[in-house]
Amino acid sequence: MSALSVLLRKELHATFTSPIAYTVGGVFLLVIGYTFSLTLFFTKVANLTYIFHQMYVLLVLLVPVLTMRAFAEERKTDTLELLLTAPVREIWIVLAKFLAALTLVVALLAVSGVYAVILGHYGQPDWGPIYGGYLALVLLAMLLIAVGVFASGLTENQVVAAALSLGTFLMLWFADSVSYLLPAPLDAFVVNLSLIGHFTTFVSGSLFLSDAGYYLSLALLALFLTTRVVADR
Amino acid sequence: MRGVTLDVHRGEVLGLLGPNGSGKTTLLRMLTGYLAPTSGRVLVAGHDTVRAPIEARRRIGYVPESVPLYSNMRVREFLTFMARLRGVSAGRLRRALEDVSERLGVAEVMDARIGTLSRGYRQRVALAQALVHEPDVVVLDEPTNGLDPRQIIETRNLIRALGGDSTFVISSHILGEMEKVAHRVAILLRGELLAICRMSETPDLEALFLSLT
Repeated sequence: MSALSVLLRKELHATFTSPIAYTVGGVFLLVIGYTFSLTLFFTKVANLTYIFHQMYVLLVLLVPVLTMRAFAEERKTDTLELLLTAPVREIWIVLAKFLAALTLVVALLAVSGVYAVILGHYGQPDWGPIYGGYLALVLLAMLLIAVGVFASGLTENQVVAAALSLGTFLMLWFADSVSYLLPAPLDAFVVNLSLIGHFTTFVSGSLFLSDAGYYLSLALLALFLTTRVVADR
Repeated sequence: MRGVTLDVHRGEVLGLLGPNGSGKTTLLRMLTGYLAPTSGRVLVAGHDTVRAPIEARRRIGYVPESVPLYSNMRVREFLTFMARLRGVSAGRLRRALEDVSERLGVAEVMDARIGTLSRGYRQRVALAQALVHEPDVVVLDEPTNGLDPRQIIETRNLIRALGGDSTFVISSHILGEMEKVAHRVAILLRGELLAICRMSETPDLEALFLSLT
């Protein structure tokens, strides 16, 4: 069994036996179910665009809670010293934490897929935006979790980790609003950092490599920085 | 640390003795690869802890001073996790867990959550994770810290019993501890190695320690 799979099993066990996971999952599905029911009954339109935007907001708010423990708890309890003196590379430790949190979020998104099935059963939805929306949510989750794990690697205080990641997400979210105040060419650069800007195109059913590249490159950058932070003791 | 040079022989128990802040933990952390030396090198069974960290760490079992453990895990889960992480194969795993749990006296608490265990059992579980993969070198930072007198005696007996199979490097600021378990003692002060003495040739470690520090 490879070191990554051993670490991943441990992280999945820790994630799925944690009350935090079930609280976050419960809140996520409850709010989404509530909104889906209301919008469907009132508009009678087979469309999930509104739901996807709400899932976007919920992920921005809930991912910091999911990831705050990742390294902060290991630092506080000194178990990080056990991991870092075991014969494993730091990148595997980081990836295991990242993949465990991503598994939970993807599981929640998969459960929310029941709403798409309901729409497909009773109506004739445009499937392009639905597939695009779910792809966007997975990519968004990758970025948010990677940044959340990085924030957790910076401190041994879980609340500080959550606040750092939430603050980063909000700054990225509001980047396009702030960009209008900035001089060229800084404005174009900042607008391209916008979390919501890249998300909206996906949800409208338009897939651009640049949007996927945005999420993936920032996620990879955050994972790389986390590895450096963890390795640098 | 400044200018520390020492070697430890197979099966030997080496004690690091020094007051608080003398560099014992730093030296042990460099030995385990947790900290990299700014100059010089550390070899574990011939493997450089910076150039070949995985190979070096594979040969080490380590219990930090704070005895870190995953409180939410059961003892069996924790030992299984640490054994697999350190490369114990699936075929050897069951036997390795049975052996180490018997030797360390934790067989009766294998299904208990670590968070519910007493300090003494936690120390034994920490020792068990350090020994489960039968390492060449066992590094223990203040292994009897916080234990009651009976547990201290048991831990010392355990180290004495295990010494010979593996090489032990143990830190302590307690003179009596070193006299009872170590074959040789390295005396540290403010990051420098003051002396290395063989216990069989050192009738009064206390007098030597006072004269040096």
